[in-house]
Amino acid sequence: MNAQTHIKEAGSKTREMSYAEAIRDAMAIALERDPTVVLMGEDIGTYGGAFQVTGDLVDRFGKDRVMDTPISELGGAGVAVGAALTGLKPIYEFQFSDFAALAMEQIVNQAAKLRYMLGGEAAVPVVFRMPSGSGTGAAAQHSQSFEAWFGHVPGLKVVQPSTPAEAKGMLLAALEDPDPVIVFEHKLLYKMKGEVPEGYYTTPIGKAAVVRVGKDVTIVASAIMVHRALEAASKLAAEGIEAEVIDLRTVRPLDRETIIASVKKTGKLLCVYEGVRTLGVGAEISALVAESEAFDYLDAPIQRLGGAEAPIPYNPDLERAAVPQSPDIESVARKLAKGEV
Amino acid sequence: MPTEVIMPKVDMDMASGKLAVWHVAEGETVKKGAALFDIETDKAAMEVEAPASGTLHHILAAPGVSVPVGSPVAYIYAEGEAVGPAPAAAAPAAAPAPAPAAVAPVAEARSEAVASTSATKPEAVAAPVVSAPVMAEAANGPRATPVARRLAREDGILLAALSGTGPNGRIQRHDVEAEIARRKAPAVAPAAQPAPSAPAYALDWTPQAGDLHVTTRKGNGVPLVLVHGFAADSAGWMALERALPRDLPLVRIDLPSHGRSPLRRIGGFAELAKALVQTFDRIAEGPVHLLGHSLGGALSLALADIRPRQIKTLSLIAPAGLGPEIDGAALNGIARASTADSLAPWLKRLTARPDGISHDFAKAAMLARIDPALRAAQQELAEVLFPDGVQAFDLTAALERVTAPTLMVWGRDDRILPWKQALAAPGGVALHLMRGVGHVPHMEDPDAVAALIGRHIRA
Repeated sequence: MNAQTHIKEAGSKTREMSYAEAIRDAMAIALERDPTVVLMGEDIGTYGGAFQVTGDLVDRFGKDRVMDTPISELGGAGVAVGAALTGLKPIYEFQFSDFAALAMEQIVNQAAKLRYMLGGEAAVPVVFRMPSGSGTGAAAQHSQSFEAWFGHVPGLKVVQPSTPAEAKGMLLAALEDPDPVIVFEHKLLYKMKGEVPEGYYTTPIGKAAVVRVGKDVTIVASAIMVHRALEAASKLAAEGIEAEVIDLRTVRPLDRETIIASVKKTGKLLCVYEGVRTLGVGAEISALVAESEAFDYLDAPIQRLGGAEAPIPYNPDLERAAVPQSPDIESVARKLAKGEV
Repeated sequence: MPTEVIMPKVDMDMASGKLAVWHVAEGETVKKGAALFDIETDKAAMEVEAPASGTLHHILAAPGVSVPVGSPVAYIYAEGEAVGPAPAAAAPAAAPAPAPAAVAPVAEARSEAVASTSATKPEAVAAPVVSAPVMAEAANGPRATPVARRLAREDGILLAALSGTGPNGRIQRHDVEAEIARRKAPAVAPAAQPAPSAPAYALDWTPQAGDLHVTTRKGNGVPLVLVHGFAADSAGWMALERALPRDLPLVRIDLPSHGRSPLRRIGGFAELAKALVQTFDRIAEGPVHLLGHSLGGALSLALADIRPRQIKTLSLIAPAGLGPEIDGAALNGIARASTADSLAPWLKRLTARPDGISHDFAKAAMLARIDPALRAAQQELAEVLFPDGVQAFDLTAALERVTAPTLMVWGRDDRILPWKQALAAPGGVALHLMRGVGHVPHMEDPDAVAALIGRHIRA
């Protein structure tokens, strides 16, 4: 995709880096630019983070800016929310997004609510970084996709960058946002390399990106599913089927316009998401399209591919089978494009 | 012990089937092999035959209810057999046990209990799966995607007149676009139309209630059901009837707004087919031979598609629905003509030997359509079925699906429907292209046509 389309202040130069490095780059830039930015989390300092995302930042910025917090997600998140309320811009890292279950009180009942409950007098500009998703053999308690959970809470913003450039730009955009933002970082993407603009820039929250243009079927995907959808789309292209792939990027607020415009063009919609299919992000997209003016353009039932209605299994074959894979996307998109659904 | 009626497995990966409709009510008698109920699976809809003759009792599944494959849905008691409480699911060798005569929903516990070893498992249900898009459409109105509906709305196209190419006959965008393109294409009507102007048909007619008019000729054996063409009626079969075997029982159906049937406002081909199916269901006592001419041929094809197990053989004389071309001017002219003089030129176009259409023939034909309301209804029907002089319905897919032995007769000098449309027939259809014959072979050469049909239904 063309990263330039959503860059605000980037220099023209780019550098290849991994998704994890791009996030680290964003945090380093933020720590340099803004003295109120602080990093918090379990083992993010000396150890460099559960997935080595913070890396050497503690050496560069010191323990006052890069703080190891105790093994208590509720406590750590609470400190971050409190710090945000009192003038700092904390980035709190969860080791696994699964552990956010321990901090729901702070995220859902405090961070998301305080601006509303204090008449706009307070803001909670906190960023929660959450490594998420399956595919690492980490089993049911370390592999979940909770985008829909948090997307259900007004007061939160929820993003899912799918490339290194997006990961950097969206984290910096999250820091600019006056309200709490949850950044889901897919664990399988951490090592993915890509060209990343140097310097400071932001990728807008709430704006999806059309990453492949097509006319036969719209595939809305997020995070790693974007790459699986692109792989499927290039296979379908060999058959003469042109799939349009939309990188959702933000779960809350959803970019209605981009999705609706695409569905009006193609008449077919496939939503692909890793979270559990029932009541998932794709369900919301499906509903918003069905309710929109795009309804009169639909030429087939809307389809969803989502995670299995089961905890993520440990067995690698079952783990793969539990979430949409590229051939699954290819198959459903083909049927949709051919009018066989 | 009563015969168990089970949900058949009609598909390799079928786990359950949805009961669509019962053709026989609780307490009614049913003959072995008669249509008992329809089911819908993910892929198809089909008719299930009664596994035995007798009286139907203990209906366990209401329409709309999904039933696991192999589970009982009802029981048939032989004549004279005492009707007891509903038997428990027939586990192998289990004796009937009292159970409440439950209505839907089906007791799910039964699903596992029923073994395939059930002695009464009907063999007949292992029938080919027949997709019945026409049925789905006839029952619920056209199945169409939102964009197909919008485009049809914007272009004033009647969805019911289209046949969908999507799953379950769903009308999709390209079906409507193809229709729009077809309408925009230059007319393919034959040259030299004497009256090309579209008739401003009178709308001052009132739909009537009541069943379609059916007449019969008694005889022995399986009856031949006759479905006449547009602007004709059952009297048009007279010449053919005289040439057919004397003891062949006949059932003649007058189409809506034709002959002695009530005038009806018809929205499209599917609705017309539905009317025929309803009448057929009302009168059919078992499988029949079916013969249709022109529009009646198209309707017979639809009927054979919807009730495949009820049709022993299918005979089609110059059937409609196998291509877009049709002499729309002749149809409108016939429907509109109010005197024998204005009718005669159009009647002459029906046949290869126009001299055979005498003034007296035209007068007699006019007498049969002297009612202005009937003519107005037929003009409206022509406009619905053949808008802009085009056959707006396509039965080639149905023809592909027909399982009954099928005979097709067409006159090589047919000026209403070009005989080349017969080439849409798949290889299994016996095709007879008659020389020196026009659109009404059964009138022009009844002996030859009767011989063909007689041989066909005896084979």
